[in-house]
Amino acid sequence: MSNTLVSVVMLCWNRKDDVRESLSRLRESTYRSLEIIAVDNGSTDGTPEMIEAEFPEVLVLRMPTNIGIAAYNVGFEQARGKYIVILDDDSFPEKHAIERMVRRFEEDPELGVVAFDVRNYFSMDDIKAVEEANGRDGDARNERYIMSFNGAGAGVRTNVFRQVGCYPEEFFLYNNELDTAFRIWDAGYTIRSFPDIVGYHKYSPTNRSSWRAPFYYTRNAFWVAWKNYPDGQAASVTMELIFRCFYHSLEQRTWIYLKAMWSAFSRIGKLKGKRKPVRPDIARRLRAPVNINFTFYR
Amino acid sequence: MQKILIIRSAGFQQLDKNMPEIVRHFPDSRISLLTHEHGVQPAQKYRELNRIHVYPYAASFHPRRRVPELAGKSFDAVVVLVANLSGSGFLNVLRFALTIRAKRYYICNLVSEIREVRPADIRLRHTLNLGYIALAGCMTAIAAPFAAAYLLLQWKRMTGRKS
Repeated sequence: MSNTLVSVVMLCWNRKDDVRESLSRLRESTYRSLEIIAVDNGSTDGTPEMIEAEFPEVLVLRMPTNIGIAAYNVGFEQARGKYIVILDDDSFPEKHAIERMVRRFEEDPELGVVAFDVRNYFSMDDIKAVEEANGRDGDARNERYIMSFNGAGAGVRTNVFRQVGCYPEEFFLYNNELDTAFRIWDAGYTIRSFPDIVGYHKYSPTNRSSWRAPFYYTRNAFWVAWKNYPDGQAASVTMELIFRCFYHSLEQRTWIYLKAMWSAFSRIGKLKGKRKPVRPDIARRLRAPVNINFTFYR
Repeated sequence: MQKILIIRSAGFQQLDKNMPEIVRHFPDSRISLLTHEHGVQPAQKYRELNRIHVYPYAASFHPRRRVPELAGKSFDAVVVLVANLSGSGFLNVLRFALTIRAKRYYICNLVSEIREVRPADIRLRHTLNLGYIALAGCMTAIAAPFAAAYLLLQWKRMTGRKS
């Protein structure tokens, strides 16, 4: 087994019990050369104190307030590992996942991100049983389109992640992985998923039905388009998004999409100097269906 | 034995949550799944699935993008996964579902509630949505020139080029 250092960066915000479970699960990992960094986004429930008391091997970085995904970047800057595993505070890798991830990275120098197969924690026993029975290998690559990744479970090559600027801090929440995925592919690296590299996430319907998901997903969809698409495609996607904001506002009888659109335009200054259109083939092939942003509400 | 087709129009984490409820709702059935190509391997982890069909397009489900593999097949029920409570925003998938021959159509939502939707209701919603589309189209036509002009002014700032 490789002894290359892997940094695990986890973002925490007021989920003390979930963090405790995720960190306990990390202790079961078959890969031993781990550095674990927990970035606390201003929790008020005692999360950082719990980590320091119960998990002394974990480096805790405390943010004074909730600064959203920018806190991940603080953790990424501190990471000393050649690879970084990105986790939410309610997700964790299956015990073999990091070991398998490292093997994949070392076999393929162009592999920039290993997108874990992130599954529902509450079905973990069923999925584990099938994994063990099948022992399958291979990857979920296809030739027609290319993919992004899920920030609740992904491995990244540290130097590639830093080269492309990590997560877009201006996004605050949601669609940050898609923005980063554009830049990773454009830099000549790949994002691939392997069915034997699994993560578990406590999938929460409650979070999805709040206003935050539709607002940030929609606003950031505009920003993803403006930052990454070539001019013509950026224009057409913008028009499609404007249409969809009006249409879904009528269909779902909500103002949230119009507020998101207003925020995208009125806060456009946050994108100053950040537009770097990707190669046309990347823009064409990276699967970014904008209609999905409008399905998280009601 | 009933033949059930699930259309995977939501993430696997949701399907993980929905699958036990679907199995309970349709006991003694042979369940197939229709998924985009990238979903085939993750889908193979479900013991409940009898067969996986590939949606042979990168784009979202749409009635104009039919699946040749399913032509001529019929099911007792087609279940559309919706990633919210009401199914709003999934009309394209529901209309696509009607291109597949089935006795009944259902939605399974974020919290695993399974509700039957009648084809007539889907068509009625589509008709209503045509009105929304027309209205949204007019609003977009009005807003687009202002949006375009504003973006043109901002474009150079975003690219970091000096004006």
